[in-house]
Amino acid sequence: MAVCVAVIGKDNSPLYIGGIGNDTSTDNELSRQWLVHTALDALEERLTTTNNNTSGSNSNTTRTDMRDLYLGLLYSTDTHKIYGYVTNTRIKLVLVTSSTSPSGSNIRDAEVRTALRRLHALYADAICNPFHLPGDQITSQKFDKQVKNLMLNNV
Amino acid sequence: MADDILFELLHSEIINYALEQTKENNDKKESDLSVVEYIGFAAGYKIMERLTREWPRFKDELDTMKFICTDFWMCIYKKQIDNLRTNHQGVYVLQDNAFRFLTNFSNGHQYLEYAPRYVAYTCGLIRGGLANLCINSVVTAEVQSMPSCKFHIHVQRT
Repeated sequence: MAVCVAVIGKDNSPLYIGGIGNDTSTDNELSRQWLVHTALDALEERLTTTNNNTSGSNSNTTRTDMRDLYLGLLYSTDTHKIYGYVTNTRIKLVLVTSSTSPSGSNIRDAEVRTALRRLHALYADAICNPFHLPGDQITSQKFDKQVKNLMLNNV
Repeated sequence: MADDILFELLHSEIINYALEQTKENNDKKESDLSVVEYIGFAAGYKIMERLTREWPRFKDELDTMKFICTDFWMCIYKKQIDNLRTNHQGVYVLQDNAFRFLTNFSNGHQYLEYAPRYVAYTCGLIRGGLANLCINSVVTAEVQSMPSCKFHIHVQRT
């Protein structure tokens, strides 16, 4: 069960952080923010190693999985697991699952991947809203609703 | 195809409208197409998020430019860029031998003075697309004889 998802912009400013408040330990905004931001260093690290690998040795050692947008499990704590996804446009999508709840502890990688891909599709739709300016926080209620749906149904 | 012609007509009306606006604001002969360029920028910025959704991460700048020449151009103009040149120092020249907005006019030099109007939107489109991929650039266009057009991309490095 996903506890929280976040969309983080090019300059590491949060564009959207949403969660479902059924888990009492993460029921407040502060802990969500903290959880999501712990993952940023791990994300940056993955991205820089990707770039060094490709530019340093002339793409001979380029592994195909390094070019995948889905970065997999970034970070895990006693209670949470944090998964990351970075788009070509440097938008970072973060998904946090709870490892204490029974459905979250044995979640499969493929499920997280599809959830993040669907989140990316939702984000692309939200960006195409003409009232949304690039770099602004996403305030669309439709987006919020769709993301909450995604969290309840998919993962 | 009907959907292509809609885009073309809307595009030419946007240009007419922008020219009309500038005529009201100042009666100099110079036409101000920065509005059209900005509309292109916003559209390019937004479309890029969708286009690169199913795409693996780009290796480097040249990889990104190849994407612009093939898929991006294919999506908007239903054809690929005919020629891509670069000096490997941040200058790229994209040549389109039959640029869609210019193919409807007579070939050669008859309407050459009006050609800049019809490339401003596309300059913005390229600039916006690249801006969303974290490449800041200045895009200019050059039309020497009518249906062919060259876009110069100068990447701004910090």
